[in-house]
Amino acid sequence: MSRSAVAWALGAAVVVAGMVLLPSQLYTGQVRVVTAVLMFVALAQAWNIIGGFTGYACFGQVAFFGIGGYATAVLMEHANWSFWAALPVSALGCAAFATLIGLPLLRLRGHYFAIATLGVAEGMREVVTNLGWLTGGGAGITVPTVGGRGTAWLGNDGFYLLFLTLAGLAVGVATLIARSRFGYGLRAINQDEDAAAAAGVNTTRAKVLALTISAAITALVGSAYAFQQVTIYPQRLFDVDITVIMIVMVVIGGAGTVLGPIVGAVGLQFVSEYLRQHYPQEHILVLGAVIILVVLLFPSGLTGVAGRTGLLDAIWAYRL
Amino acid sequence: MRSRAPRILVAGAVLALVLAGCGSKGTQNPTSTGDTVNLGASMSLSGSLEKEGKLTQQGYDYCVSTVNAKGGIPVGGRSLRLHIDYQDDQSQPDTAGQLVDQFNDKGYKLILGPYGSATTGAAMAVVERNGQVMVDSSGADDTLFNRGYRRTFAVLSPASVYAASIVDAVNELATPKPRSIVFLSADDGFSKTVAAAGEARAKSLGLTVLPGQQFPAGATDVSSALTRIKSGKPEVIVGSVHLAEGIAIIKQAAELAVTPTGGFAETVAPPTPDFVTTLGTKANGVLSSSQWVPEVKGSDALFGTATDYRNGFRTQFGQDPEYHNAEATAACLAMVLAVRNAGSTDPGKVRDALARLDEQSFFGALKFNDRGENVTKSMSVVQIQNGKLVTVWPADQAAGRLIWPGTNG
Amino acid sequence: MTSFLQATSYGLLQGGLLAMIAIGFSLVWGVMNVINLSHGAYVLLGAYIAWELHAAWGLDPLLGAVAAGLVMFGAGYAVQRSLINQVVNAPIFLTLLLTFGLQLVLVQGMAVVFSADYRSIATWYASESLPIGDVRVPSGRLLAFGVAILATVVLVTFMRRTRTGLAILATGMDRNAARLMGINARHAYALTAGIAAALAGAAGALVGLVGTFSPPDAARFTLLSFVISVLGGLGNMYGALLGGLVLGVVQAWAGQYLPGTWVNAVAFAVLVAVLIVRPSGLAGRAFYEARVEAT
Repeated sequence: MSRSAVAWALGAAVVVAGMVLLPSQLYTGQVRVVTAVLMFVALAQAWNIIGGFTGYACFGQVAFFGIGGYATAVLMEHANWSFWAALPVSALGCAAFATLIGLPLLRLRGHYFAIATLGVAEGMREVVTNLGWLTGGGAGITVPTVGGRGTAWLGNDGFYLLFLTLAGLAVGVATLIARSRFGYGLRAINQDEDAAAAAGVNTTRAKVLALTISAAITALVGSAYAFQQVTIYPQRLFDVDITVIMIVMVVIGGAGTVLGPIVGAVGLQFVSEYLRQHYPQEHILVLGAVIILVVLLFPSGLTGVAGRTGLLDAIWAYRL
Repeated sequence: MRSRAPRILVAGAVLALVLAGCGSKGTQNPTSTGDTVNLGASMSLSGSLEKEGKLTQQGYDYCVSTVNAKGGIPVGGRSLRLHIDYQDDQSQPDTAGQLVDQFNDKGYKLILGPYGSATTGAAMAVVERNGQVMVDSSGADDTLFNRGYRRTFAVLSPASVYAASIVDAVNELATPKPRSIVFLSADDGFSKTVAAAGEARAKSLGLTVLPGQQFPAGATDVSSALTRIKSGKPEVIVGSVHLAEGIAIIKQAAELAVTPTGGFAETVAPPTPDFVTTLGTKANGVLSSSQWVPEVKGSDALFGTATDYRNGFRTQFGQDPEYHNAEATAACLAMVLAVRNAGSTDPGKVRDALARLDEQSFFGALKFNDRGENVTKSMSVVQIQNGKLVTVWPADQAAGRLIWPGTNG
Repeated sequence: MTSFLQATSYGLLQGGLLAMIAIGFSLVWGVMNVINLSHGAYVLLGAYIAWELHAAWGLDPLLGAVAAGLVMFGAGYAVQRSLINQVVNAPIFLTLLLTFGLQLVLVQGMAVVFSADYRSIATWYASESLPIGDVRVPSGRLLAFGVAILATVVLVTFMRRTRTGLAILATGMDRNAARLMGINARHAYALTAGIAAALAGAAGALVGLVGTFSPPDAARFTLLSFVISVLGGLGNMYGALLGGLVLGVVQAWAGQYLPGTWVNAVAFAVLVAVLIVRPSGLAGRAFYEARVEAT
């Protein structure tokens, strides 16, 4: 093993150990805040695969989140499945859905892909709202966690570990993709799709696969979220704000890198949590101002600034 | 990349360890610190329910200032001041749940409810888990109380009464008695429960219930629902709605000349002042049910009668209270009474005191069944007459006569 | 038949107003390749300006629309010059993020300044309607529709017939070439943003005339603009108008012939279907479809 590999392994082991031990030192509400951070790390990283690496701005990512959550809730409530069976099946089902919609939609480029996926997400919310006999409609659906049915609720610490695992999985998958031939193919598509095709990348296959992987991870998170919330509503599970937040996190941190979405998710989530606790009336106003400042001061993302691009270079590069 | 990444990992690891090492579990800021009782309230201070959230917050604030002006809450020979800590849930249920957990961290065991049924449902689950106690001021959907929770008590009448009381009032007071009725409903759980219970009530009274229409909650265009019911010529049109849809029904019915021979009735929307200010004279004649009116019988030592409540509220805020304000104040009052009766801020004792509570107040009776619902209290029916809310039903609260048909006003 | 005609006419009128809300969004997107997420907040700002003028001096909202347009022109110009121009060369996500932040500030700012009350500008004519046979044509909506069509025609004429308009279009097609021709791109972009904001503000006044508004509506207006712009297609000035009318009518028909809660599902299904069959929108040009990033 090279020295750098040893450093990696050691560092990773310490991070994992620290993260696993963390909840024993926190209050339940703090555990929940960190759990939400982990959830957004996983979501941002999932979006990064299709939006950051491949450059396809999926504005309907929350569709996969909602489908994962509702599939789990329906399987547990109506088919009496355990959560642990519903979790992977929801993700697989959602992956199949993503493949199906990916084939026609990924032919679209730029904003047209963005708006088409947004349409899918909004449409899915309406479908779920209207299938009241299956999904409870606008009144929501409650996952069975008591009375011998379903799976017992995991407790705040249990959900912490579940979301930690999912975040780790998302980061792991993104790391593998970033270093693989497949990942180089995605980046080539991002740079110039026609050139990538000319260079022998099967662009359709690569794009659809990227969307499918991204959707599967997002669905896993949605599934776990549904179980954590117990009662879920279509308004929230298909909330376009969740997509926007994923994108904001990735862009703040630096799109197309593995580290960027982590930095973005942790940073944004902690900042907005801090603002909400200290300025309950004006926190959104302040958050908006912070985002504007970050864009103007760090236009290539926080990790981009730390990297090779000098701060001033980046600012001047994008000016008109 | 190769040289930088391990350093970042190590930095992250150090950070994680530091975080893991410096927290320490224990109790901080318990529910009562020194001579103050701290209540936690997750509230829609932004997002889609901001307006209603602010009304609820006003009601809570009025309770705090009144209680403290009267010397606080007597507990075990001492007088404790009341304080409410608000956090913004952005009208999202998941955030509301998280905030209640955070209140628990601070040692806040006594919780006042957020605005709306979805947020209240999420908060209820957390309250139950943490052994906190909550008084619910606005979550009226009956399904919330079928989940077996034992630590949440709602001061308001449940959803099933909202439209049913209007149907009762029309059936009792209107001449000529209408024969047909139709329900337009938003598609959220609360509104659907309201409409279903109203339809059932109308059927049991022998009215012809025409096929109802639904539209998305928050819709500002309900024209197609109106066009579709127009041909059935319903005599009464009942909207099971929130403010936005409620205003749209009246506005667009005028545009499309959908004029029932009897009148319009709507839940939730008409008692909000915005309803009259946005609709002007078109609001006249619209019926609604209300959780509270100034003619409610009963009084209590803190707020006096319902009229006293209105006057006091007007002095503090410069406007008349509407029922969202009053139900919030009543929830806070129930909590204060329970703390007083328990002689303690211990959540278990306060919970038992709430379960046993049986008091009259400016809001009517405060008494809960074993599911935590306040079924002793009834809802009042009001009509907008000359831009003002006039209580018309039940008879012992009526401040004026029902104008019928309501569409002539 | 009556109900079909009623639904269709109502949908067309509604669509005209939707088009006016969206047209500025479409213009900014087409010329600068910027997706302005604060567009919905501009619409609301216009509505509040018209509301305040009506409350203070009883100014009719149709005149209020002119005032709102003028004020918002200045605001849009200033925001573009001071903020968005700073990052307009950056990847599309960055301008998206910037306008998202702006949207948060504006919406929350409006909630603080104007409160979250639901508002509407009451006029004597808004809820009257003209009976044409059995069909009712609401006069407020008819007026709003007329203003929306007029504004679109004026905009197109301005863009195609004046030097300034042509300069903006040229900058949109090739900024570097336009610069070489002596066009001040910063000014051209800011003008574009100003015109878009003016149209949004005026549309907001009309929204206040025919319906209600409160700060949380901003996101809905932005989403509608997004959908309509794509539905109509970029690069054609009449695209947003067409997109708005199609959306209005489709929603009205869906509301008429399907359970009411399916309306939005149908609208989005139509959107996705149009994109799959005709990726550049109903009236768009392929050039804009293929253009992913500004150069």
